[in-house]
Amino acid sequence: MKKLFVLLFSSFILLGAMAQVDKGNLLIKNGTVITITKGNLEQTDVLIKDGKIAQIGKNITAPAGIKIVDASGHFVMPGIIDAHSHIALDGINEGTNPITPEVNESDVINPFQIGIYRALGGGITTVHAMHGSANAIGGQCETIKLRYGTFDPEVLKMDGAPRTIKFALGENPTRSHGEGSGIVPRTRMGVEFVIRQAFTEAKEYSEKWNQYNKAKLVKGFRGAPPTYSYRHEVLSDILNDKIIVHCHSYRADEIYMMLKVCKDFGIKRIVFQHVNEGFKVAPELAAQGAMASVFSDWWAYKFEVYYSTAYNAAILAKNGVVTSINSDDGEMMRHLYHEAGKTQKYGGLSDEEALALITINPAKQLGIENRVGSLEVGKEADIAIFKNHPLSIYGVPMFTIVDGVVRFDREKDPDDMRLVVDPKQAIETATFRDKLSDQDHCMEGAEFILDSELFNANKK
Amino acid sequence: MVERRFIQRITGGVLALLVCSFSLFAQDEKELKPVTRTYAITNVNVVQAPGKKVDMATVLIKDGLITAVGKGVAIPADAIVIKADSMYVYAGFIDGLSRVGVTKPKEEVGRDRVKDPGNPAPERAGITPQNDVRGSLNASDKSIEDLRNIGFTVAQVVPYGNLLPGQGSIVLLSGKSADQMVLVSNSSLYSELSGANGVYPNTTMAVIAKWRELYRQASQAKSYQSLYASNRVGLERPGSDRVLEAFYPVIDQRIPVLFKSEKMLDAHRILTLKSDLGFSLIMADVKEGWPVANKIKASGAKVFLSLDLPEEAKKDDKKSGGKSDKKADSTKAKEVAKPKTAADLERDALEKRKSEAIANYTTQASVFNKAGVSFGFSSLSAKPKDIPANLRRMIAAGLSEDAALAALTTTPAQLLGLSDRMGTVENGKMANLVISDKSYFNEKAKVRYVFVDGVMYKLEVKEENLPAGQAGKSDPNAKVEIEGSWSTVTQTPQGSNDGKVTFKKDGSGYKGTVSGGRLPAPADLTSVTLEGNKLSYSYSLSFGGNSIKVDVEATVEGDSFKGNASIGLRGSFSIEGTKNPKN
Repeated sequence: MKKLFVLLFSSFILLGAMAQVDKGNLLIKNGTVITITKGNLEQTDVLIKDGKIAQIGKNITAPAGIKIVDASGHFVMPGIIDAHSHIALDGINEGTNPITPEVNESDVINPFQIGIYRALGGGITTVHAMHGSANAIGGQCETIKLRYGTFDPEVLKMDGAPRTIKFALGENPTRSHGEGSGIVPRTRMGVEFVIRQAFTEAKEYSEKWNQYNKAKLVKGFRGAPPTYSYRHEVLSDILNDKIIVHCHSYRADEIYMMLKVCKDFGIKRIVFQHVNEGFKVAPELAAQGAMASVFSDWWAYKFEVYYSTAYNAAILAKNGVVTSINSDDGEMMRHLYHEAGKTQKYGGLSDEEALALITINPAKQLGIENRVGSLEVGKEADIAIFKNHPLSIYGVPMFTIVDGVVRFDREKDPDDMRLVVDPKQAIETATFRDKLSDQDHCMEGAEFILDSELFNANKK
Repeated sequence: MVERRFIQRITGGVLALLVCSFSLFAQDEKELKPVTRTYAITNVNVVQAPGKKVDMATVLIKDGLITAVGKGVAIPADAIVIKADSMYVYAGFIDGLSRVGVTKPKEEVGRDRVKDPGNPAPERAGITPQNDVRGSLNASDKSIEDLRNIGFTVAQVVPYGNLLPGQGSIVLLSGKSADQMVLVSNSSLYSELSGANGVYPNTTMAVIAKWRELYRQASQAKSYQSLYASNRVGLERPGSDRVLEAFYPVIDQRIPVLFKSEKMLDAHRILTLKSDLGFSLIMADVKEGWPVANKIKASGAKVFLSLDLPEEAKKDDKKSGGKSDKKADSTKAKEVAKPKTAADLERDALEKRKSEAIANYTTQASVFNKAGVSFGFSSLSAKPKDIPANLRRMIAAGLSEDAALAALTTTPAQLLGLSDRMGTVENGKMANLVISDKSYFNEKAKVRYVFVDGVMYKLEVKEENLPAGQAGKSDPNAKVEIEGSWSTVTQTPQGSNDGKVTFKKDGSGYKGTVSGGRLPAPADLTSVTLEGNKLSYSYSLSFGGNSIKVDVEATVEGDSFKGNASIGLRGSFSIEGTKNPKN
């Protein structure tokens, strides 16, 4: 019996291991190096060995045979990290049940989406590929590196990045389940209820297993084990601080509610996503160590997002909340540096503070700040090289480097970067395969009723 | 031309024997026992196994088994002799995954909305691993004959469904009932990475999560049951659970999981499941396996590659039809002089990538062969009439004929654990044979006889290949006139569809246009052929970003035609045309 469960649970650890990742050697010469954590260094070189930053300094001698990128007059910054995206995934919402923590985006990574290459064109190197927001507790997400060119989905995964999971409050889950299927939750109260209920069940589940495992130690024990539940296993992992919660939210009341839920169940790591009314509860977020990942100035696309301000990021950051700016969108993802720049107009953030919103801060939110998010010796060589300052309206990404491998070079940017070609697709539509990339994927795959449909008498 | 009479008169009674045995196969209502089950195939080129050929030999069959192979074999008096001079005999082909003879359940239209889509009944969720394909196997289904007629004698068949439709069986393509067909029952647990419509598990990620949970629950339940069986005192009685119990033989590694693995990413996902859970695995109907070949090899999974291939790229695909008549030729010189526009170049580049993509599918078998992965073939998504041509395309793309034959015979026999019974033409093996008038892989080869379990099926060979399911009598010598405009009615499950097709003489052939249905404007026919009264034409629809090819095959009688319009794998619909009076 014991053997069986060792087997069962060790299989979690074996997941996803052993993919062959390309790592490069490179010398970036003579750029303005924006380290994020240690200021700017003029006319400085960055030496990359085996995918990691080996040295940062002036006039580094090039090792024999190394590839050199001339960054004279250019700005060298850490690769941009998007803490909220839905690219590279086959399936975003398992919108059939308000609680689906057992589903995992890790299982449906799609390395062929052209959106990955387009994101590289915007200086992005790491992306939080998330489950959607149809469910109160959605699926687990995957932190991926944009190693575009691989045919193996395992290679995109950032091996060793902490597990994360998507939660969602407010209109999306109530619309999907309450209005769509006529089940709880139909209101914000219902959302709180289903989350608390799930955690309570998970606690009971863990308790049963603890009792069983303890009882088994007594000689001569005879008894049945509790029934295995994948769902409750994952919920227990959240309660045991093995998974970072990323919670889709807009309104201050629901954010405050979720902070209380976290307190009650001992959940330490939570990042609020979107969090448009975060500015109203910024001190409370900071006090509990909760983080926030926001849009720069995107709102009013539904009722719960009307009370918003472009000062949100700056207010949160000034209140000590670890804040990032995300895209949630294949198009916006390609100019997150502009989105970060807006915080200088709305809130007067410094260059360093503004760039932290798209580098080291999202890295902290994903638990990967020791590996990426700044240019420091020993960190992974994920780098974006810009012509003109990245916060300038004239900033243009020229090179994007992942693990020391140049994955985007503006001067060598072929027309057709598709990895796979559909043998049945008509030539006329061949270039539009990724046509959904301009749409909001947050509710993709979820069934729900739009408000406008309520006024349409002909609707079934 | 091969002689059409092969049956040699041995004794005066042979003619009578012949009539009797044939009437049986012609599904006569009278159940007569065959007078003899002994056959001698004489003077035939025997391909005993890939690369092992005996010319001008005899194959003797008795009571369903091969009893002798070689030269100078004495022919018993009761044998029906098949004079197969210059023909080729091979071991009957084996299909790793198919739904031949399996009845598709009727789509439950207006199915009640599930009250709680997050917790549907297992049947609604596509979780019925306890189902046995024998329950939906129809021995008289025409698909069995279609597959047999191209040389297949054995297939692993599975039920319809989503995530876990049920258990497959290995069946003979012969027999009068499901049970008579079955060679090995419950040979595998069949699964697809496809979700349930509108209920949990709906997405691929939920399907995978559910798979893991079910497998782990089954492992747990199985352990507890054996604990209980060993000593019941002081233990709660374990409950019964059909779904979980269906996994037990998989957990014991007594049967494999048979996974449909068409897409490249499916293959990765299924291999991940295998490495997580440790079951033995057959990946079948693999279509895009070329980048995964080594990973599959390392995993130890068994492989059946799909016999379906994407259509070949048209070589003469100039934008507007590319007719090679004299007019076009005279304008061609001018076209050459005109420099290509940026749009032309882009189009050319896209065409090139598309044909390279198609080539990947065609070379897949050869890539697997070179990587040292042994594989069989599966017909699940292939149309039988395309299979011989698809095999020739694979051979043209680098697969040796021996390797192709191995993938049809010896390798699948081995992968399915049937090597002791079939896969070669050897003494003692089951009499599963295919006899073709030329080497099977020759473009002009026709299958003349198929033996399944010692039962002979003789194929009527006409001078030309006639499409299956064609209405009306075709007559290659008939003279019909099709020029003009025709009104067509196509019957689809969504109702009947009116259209119009116009034919015009074009040199020695015809060209034409089609309109109606989903076509916003009349479209050119991509091909029109008329042989005798047999009419076929094709055109393409652009729908949802995909180009869909429609092939119409019909028989013309006076001012009307009847036939079928087939749309790729979507199926074939009956179509009728009537000629419109000339204005």
